[in-house]
Amino acid sequence: MELEKLDTEQTLSRAPKSTTTSTMKTPENMESIGALIKITIDGIDVKVPMGTTILQAARSIGIRIPTLCYHEDLCISGVCRICVVEIEGQRTLQSSCSYPISQPLVIHTHTRKVRQARRHILDLLLSKHYGECYTCVCNNNCELQELAREYGVDFYRFGHVDKPTYGRDNSSYAIIRDMDKCILCRRCVRTCIDLQEVGVYEAFNRGTETHIGTFMENPMAEQICINCGQCINRCPTGALHANDPSDAIWAAIDDPTKHVVIQTAPAPRSAICECFGLEPGIPLTREMNTAMRYCGFDKVFDTNFAADLTILEEGTELIKRLYKSLVTKEQVALPQFTSCSPGWVKYIEHFYPEMLDHVSSAKSPQQMFGAVIKTYYAKMYNIDPADIVTVALMPCTAKKFECNRPEMNDSGFKDIDYGLTTRELAQMFKEAGIDLPNMAKSEFDDPFGEETGSGVIFGATGGVMESAIRTVYDLVTGEKIEDLFEKANVIPVRGFEGIKYAELPITKVGPVPEILAHLIPNWDWLKGVTLKVAVAHGTANAKKILENIKAGGKFSECQFIEFMACPGGCLGGGGMPIPTDEKIRAARAKAIYMEDERSSVRKSYENPAILRIYKEFLTDGPCGHLSHHLLHTSYTPRGKNLI
Amino acid sequence: MQIIDRQKVNHEIECLREKYGQDRSALIPILQELQEIYGYLPYIVMQETAHSLGIHPSEVEGVASFYSFLRTKEKQGKYVIRLCQTISCNLAKKVNVARQFENELGIKFGQTTNDGMFTLEYTNCLGMCDQGPALMINDRLFSKVTPEKASAIIADCRRDFLKSEFPKVVPSDVQKSGPILNHGLQPSESLKTALTMSRSAIISIIRESNLKGRGGAGFPTSIKWQLAGAAIDDKKYVVCNADEGEPGTFKDRYLLYDHIEIMLDGMAIAAYAIGAQKGFIYLRGEYKYMKKYLEEKIENRRKTNLLGKDILGKDKFNFDIEIRMGAGAYVCGEETALIESLEGYRGEPRNRPPFPVDTGFQKHPTIVNNVETFIDAAIIISKGAKWFLEHGTARSSGTKIFSVSGNCERPGIYELPFGIMISQLLKEVGGENAKAVQVGGASGKCLARKDFNRSIAFEDIASGGSIIVFGPDTDMLAVAKNFMEFFVEESCGQCTPCREGNVKLLDGIEKLEKGICSVTYLNELMKLDETIQLASKCGLGQSSPNAFLSIMENFKSEILGRVPEIN
Repeated sequence: MELEKLDTEQTLSRAPKSTTTSTMKTPENMESIGALIKITIDGIDVKVPMGTTILQAARSIGIRIPTLCYHEDLCISGVCRICVVEIEGQRTLQSSCSYPISQPLVIHTHTRKVRQARRHILDLLLSKHYGECYTCVCNNNCELQELAREYGVDFYRFGHVDKPTYGRDNSSYAIIRDMDKCILCRRCVRTCIDLQEVGVYEAFNRGTETHIGTFMENPMAEQICINCGQCINRCPTGALHANDPSDAIWAAIDDPTKHVVIQTAPAPRSAICECFGLEPGIPLTREMNTAMRYCGFDKVFDTNFAADLTILEEGTELIKRLYKSLVTKEQVALPQFTSCSPGWVKYIEHFYPEMLDHVSSAKSPQQMFGAVIKTYYAKMYNIDPADIVTVALMPCTAKKFECNRPEMNDSGFKDIDYGLTTRELAQMFKEAGIDLPNMAKSEFDDPFGEETGSGVIFGATGGVMESAIRTVYDLVTGEKIEDLFEKANVIPVRGFEGIKYAELPITKVGPVPEILAHLIPNWDWLKGVTLKVAVAHGTANAKKILENIKAGGKFSECQFIEFMACPGGCLGGGGMPIPTDEKIRAARAKAIYMEDERSSVRKSYENPAILRIYKEFLTDGPCGHLSHHLLHTSYTPRGKNLI
Repeated sequence: MQIIDRQKVNHEIECLREKYGQDRSALIPILQELQEIYGYLPYIVMQETAHSLGIHPSEVEGVASFYSFLRTKEKQGKYVIRLCQTISCNLAKKVNVARQFENELGIKFGQTTNDGMFTLEYTNCLGMCDQGPALMINDRLFSKVTPEKASAIIADCRRDFLKSEFPKVVPSDVQKSGPILNHGLQPSESLKTALTMSRSAIISIIRESNLKGRGGAGFPTSIKWQLAGAAIDDKKYVVCNADEGEPGTFKDRYLLYDHIEIMLDGMAIAAYAIGAQKGFIYLRGEYKYMKKYLEEKIENRRKTNLLGKDILGKDKFNFDIEIRMGAGAYVCGEETALIESLEGYRGEPRNRPPFPVDTGFQKHPTIVNNVETFIDAAIIISKGAKWFLEHGTARSSGTKIFSVSGNCERPGIYELPFGIMISQLLKEVGGENAKAVQVGGASGKCLARKDFNRSIAFEDIASGGSIIVFGPDTDMLAVAKNFMEFFVEESCGQCTPCREGNVKLLDGIEKLEKGICSVTYLNELMKLDETIQLASKCGLGQSSPNAFLSIMENFKSEILGRVPEIN
């Protein structure tokens, strides 16, 4: 078995940049002459590699310089000017985030000029920042508020707006824009154009008229927006936030005639600790279970069940496609693309509608679960599905849009009533007076309570692929994936490289397991085939793969590709705690893989609840008639023009 | 409602991409041409342009909305009347002309008549400051407009028989010329001289001459050329900054017209010296009437092998020049904003470092010089550094071309040596009784009589050449207000100090007008001035509060002692 990684940066073109700032390249060899430069910051000498920014250098020695428009995930902009510092011998102050060091410098970070400039910049931003902190969703988690406190702002030096200029845009199911709180840092612009390649936002007009706009100033619901919410995660204020359904959920909980069921996706459990002041990466799964019951949810289920169901359905679909392609020589679209990420699904509907037949028809775990709850579960427990309210705890804002897709009602009802984000659940907990880290631990409810590792890793980029490999390898070869990878940890598809690629030659085949016996006679046709798979996260990376496939490149030879709209996968989702950066995402990933290792069941086909549902309910097996009706969907070619 | 056929739009875009290039740098010229076809940029046009260039429609709208001459909203009238609102035209009683137009058409500025014939708009400096009030109707320029003339112009338009006032020649009133304007060189003469020299020799001569950038910042030209020349890259660019937008400046308009040959020589010499293959003239949108003339000159040069391949037989010296039109944004006079604009982005200045000499147009080494700088350089190559050093001061060599406007007897173009005292200059132009002089345009300083013994030179009062004379009756607060209105509109809007700070300064002026600005608040605004100067991202922002600051300092008692206006 051979697994290789691909250097995608060299083979594929770069995404266009919204801000063409460029900084110097750091030298490759630190030993070479001039590679290290000695600078002095606030009297402290430090040697840094050429091209390091002043901000990086200062941070490396523990000197704090405030920032607003700077974000680790994004290209440098240098527009807010809050990070200015004084460099000896230079007439003007310099923004430390954008200044690459190429010669010895003596830098001061808190002189009179610097302090005055920072205070003035804050005063100027506040003079146009409409609204009160009490009524802001970002209260206590706002970078502007934090700086105002740090710099002792005790009055509005240059006045304060008392009327909104723009008003709120509540049109989207996922993202609410409140431009009266916008401070024009343009992080959302850079996120949407550079990181995600979607391009909803751009700065419009100039001078005092400058604002962040959407195409033709149309509301968000009429934009080519994939609802990924990455802009929310990077907004320093409350100008962008998610459409919060918690009032409606409370109302359902308070209604005695309603049976309120919550399913919890893998990623939120790895991150909700951050909302309660803990370090990132401490899973609070079981505390959360208790807390949700405390809030009044009638049942607490694990989305992992649906994730495993997805693997069976999507995996079977892949096998069917491969069989058609290799044996019956029918025209089928390969590689097959995953369909779990609703941001990704909307991306391809808009930007590559001609490739929609590649996308697996399997619904996302959230939606599968909704359909199962309102049919199988309702029947099993004799509850009228009309009285069931399904809530989905998700790391995701796009899930809010997904559950409102008109086609998502195969149970005869709205499969999922509300998509709730990690941040919003934490808020509900706080409202209920819950101190989550100190909550007692408890398990999920039956019948969908099995914690499976194969489901939990859906939360990280590469997780769906790893889970699929674990199941497919075992089912096809009759052997155990553990023979290839210690503890079944398929390391090559893990990690945060934008695009990952791996090959898995099938050298021997086993008997066809019972669950698939209705579809294929044997595995012989797969013998000698090399499975080629790829994983992409962030839609800018997805674009690279799609363009490569269109051009007949390496990725067109893959059989299966996992796409996640958000950088890092679900653990970097738009509904996850703020802030986000690479370190935080890595800590969340660690928590997720920890949960995986802790689980007794780590392969989807071994999940007893899965075996049971195919035996009791979806009796014609994966991709059978009933599962096709309940668990599969179709897509809408939306195109690049909505107007 | 216009019905727009997507296929037709697509076809037009494909043709334009053939003409302007396949990458994003073609965006602005494509939008300019599409606007000519459709009268504005309908959303379908923006969408198709975006898809064609592989960018997002919001990006196209972002660019279009940045530039005053690109319109994304409603269609404009058949005749768009753009009246200059900058200070020199104000001094020439622009307000009477504006009233006349409003009365004549029954609309206010910013509106379009119901019959779709006329749109009235204000615009910033048209570069006709010595002949104000000036206005543009579509691409045509009118100067010294009086209320009577305004009526006549409207009548002509109604008959669809608008005679161009200046069919060919761009008016220019050279009041005094000197060694530069009287260079007496033949076209290509200095280029030929240059081609006999080595690249380093050319840069050495420029260094010896101590030539500093004529745009106003005064950066030594030789350093730019040397750094760009030393950079290792197979693509380098020479850009002529002809985006003369500083209020009160019009010398480049004249230089481009009357001295274009020597300017083109200068660009070619620079290209030879740094090893560039391509040049751009970034011509301000307001000078569109000159484009054809300049293109003819460039075409002639191609025919005579002064541009193109192996120029004048010099092996592997290939250089060509393309004219790119600005689209009405003052900030594009800042060199990195200009480069962003050339690349098809919003004209927002970049972070510096890196500097254009190593990371310029499309990340290649690029030099950006003013029209006058190229002319000076070409003449220096012919006449030698010593000759140039004979003029001016020790630290500011040579002469400077000034654009003089305002309350003086002889407005126009003057060539005067660096180091000239303000009082001498005023005598020269017939403005001895001036109360104040604005040196360097809106971003320059306003000097009171006590400063008239100071001299214009990089070591004292630097100037890009704009001189606006204020007579004894000038209301200095009104002057400050005009300048601040200019910056509030022309700031690119990306960095906080310039975008928000200038609004606060303007707001302070309005408070002063009403007599409700406390001295404490005024002092706070003066401190804010310092912040804007120190913390803004680019030179425009850093110099934007200069006028406010110098007027407040020099005329504080006049301003605080005003009788407040009653609302």
